[in-house]
Amino acid sequence: MKDGIATTKFYERPIVKLIDVEIGYKNNETLVKIPDLEIFPGEIVAIAGPSGVGKTTLLRTIAGLVKSISGKVEVCGKAIPHRPKRGELGYIPQRLGLVRHASVMHNVMLGANAGQKKEIFHKNKYIKLVGNSFLSLLPSKEAKRKSLEAIRKMGLSDKVGEPVRRLSGGQQRRVATARTLAQEPVLILADEFLSELDDETMAVVLKRVVEYIRNNNAALLVVEHDISRAKSMADRLLVIDDGRINPFITEVTMIEVKV
Amino acid sequence: MITLKSKVISICLILILFSFSILNGMVDDWGRLSGGISNLFIFFSESLWPPNWSVIEPQNYPVCTTYPLFDFTCSTAWIGMSETIKIAFVSTIFGSIISLPISILAARNLSSLGVSYFARILLAAARSLPSIIWAIFFVILVGFGPFSGVLAMTIYTVGYLGKLQYESIEGMNSVPLESARSMGLSKIEIATGVVIPEMANSLISQVIFMFEYNVRHGTVIGIVGAGGIGYYINLYLKFLQYDKVISYLIIIFIVVLIIDFLSISARSYFNEGGDVSKPSWWDIFLPNLKKLK
Repeated sequence: MKDGIATTKFYERPIVKLIDVEIGYKNNETLVKIPDLEIFPGEIVAIAGPSGVGKTTLLRTIAGLVKSISGKVEVCGKAIPHRPKRGELGYIPQRLGLVRHASVMHNVMLGANAGQKKEIFHKNKYIKLVGNSFLSLLPSKEAKRKSLEAIRKMGLSDKVGEPVRRLSGGQQRRVATARTLAQEPVLILADEFLSELDDETMAVVLKRVVEYIRNNNAALLVVEHDISRAKSMADRLLVIDDGRINPFITEVTMIEVKV
Repeated sequence: MITLKSKVISICLILILFSFSILNGMVDDWGRLSGGISNLFIFFSESLWPPNWSVIEPQNYPVCTTYPLFDFTCSTAWIGMSETIKIAFVSTIFGSIISLPISILAARNLSSLGVSYFARILLAAARSLPSIIWAIFFVILVGFGPFSGVLAMTIYTVGYLGKLQYESIEGMNSVPLESARSMGLSKIEIATGVVIPEMANSLISQVIFMFEYNVRHGTVIGIVGAGGIGYYINLYLKFLQYDKVISYLIIIFIVVLIIDFLSISARSYFNEGGDVSKPSWWDIFLPNLKKLK
């Protein structure tokens, strides 16, 4: 149990499943080997380890942005890399990936729109594809409501129309979190999303994200280089070690640490 | 030991010598150069100078009906130059509307290899001919006048601006694209929601640059009958009235200088570097007046 929020029962079917996966980049050596990893609905898993060990690459592999060298990666029962289904996966990269010249509302609306499952039904798949693409551009009241709600939760109600580039690093981090919450994804992949936040704001942001995960049976996989912070937020802590943490380790290994 | 600096210097020297040897092969008599300079002086003193400023006086026909203070607006210089600016403006607007979706398709970070190559071929085809050749082509198709000028400049704008745009889109930060893709946004949503807002500053800056470019090149297309001040230049060249031609050239020089200055000022508001505030048209054209408020 973390921060007084009850841990819900984990469902049997995992949201993320990795079997014998080797992670790295093309033409480079393997960064990390993961024999078996399952993340269940309602679960918060943190990955810690020294920098350059492959934590972000693991997240990018699960997000379908990098191909694994070998093995099987599944998200919501589908093999990766596949094109993520709308709203299935929320990704908060370390560098946030915000549209800097656009407003806070615009950025959060991107997430809310991704969470909307608007579809037209037609026999012809091309008409359906083009129709759905244009349909997704139509503004929806529901998406606007969700965006404003997510912005409010992140304490940025007074910054709705402000361009993101004018916000501080911590505020930008909260915008990225609001974008993901407005999306209502099944899985959130977050890369050091609490850095640059002061203790008070960090507690609020973490509380909102944990609340979302527990209430919606979603899952959170978070990368943290600070092991003590990772321990404080996660149900499970996985440490990727290349010998820098434990000198007796000779190859990059992922170990589970009790929290 | 051969240093990098000496390598660069020797490569430059080889290139310069190579260019001179090619030029030497093309020039049969270097003495023509000194003859050319003396010819320029004779031509300048006998035919070009002083300029004939009757080009800014109202034409006899059609009769000028404007207020006497503004009767210069009935002059051939004003009519020609304003037509050139109109052609440049319209073709920049239409060209940028057409080029933006094509450049999004041409950008390798947004489209598949096949789509990107197809779009690039389209843009290269539009760019492969200079605007004056397009103007000849459209004069044949739709006849003399500014309409063929607009068509020619629009096609050229699509090719040139499209290339500038897809190159800057390809250079954009990949992280916003990655997070949009992982969210499952459609390509059209990524283009309208991420790429265009993120790149807006540089895209606007390129459109302003293109307008400036089109004004400069719009002065030439009139020579083949596609409207603008070039028509009058060509007319007086045929009548050997070079003193009038030099007046037009001075007017073009001044107007292009003013538009260059406005363009640089306007573009400085849309530069990527620094945390610039969103400008208004007031800021662009009357920046000092705003400070006085």
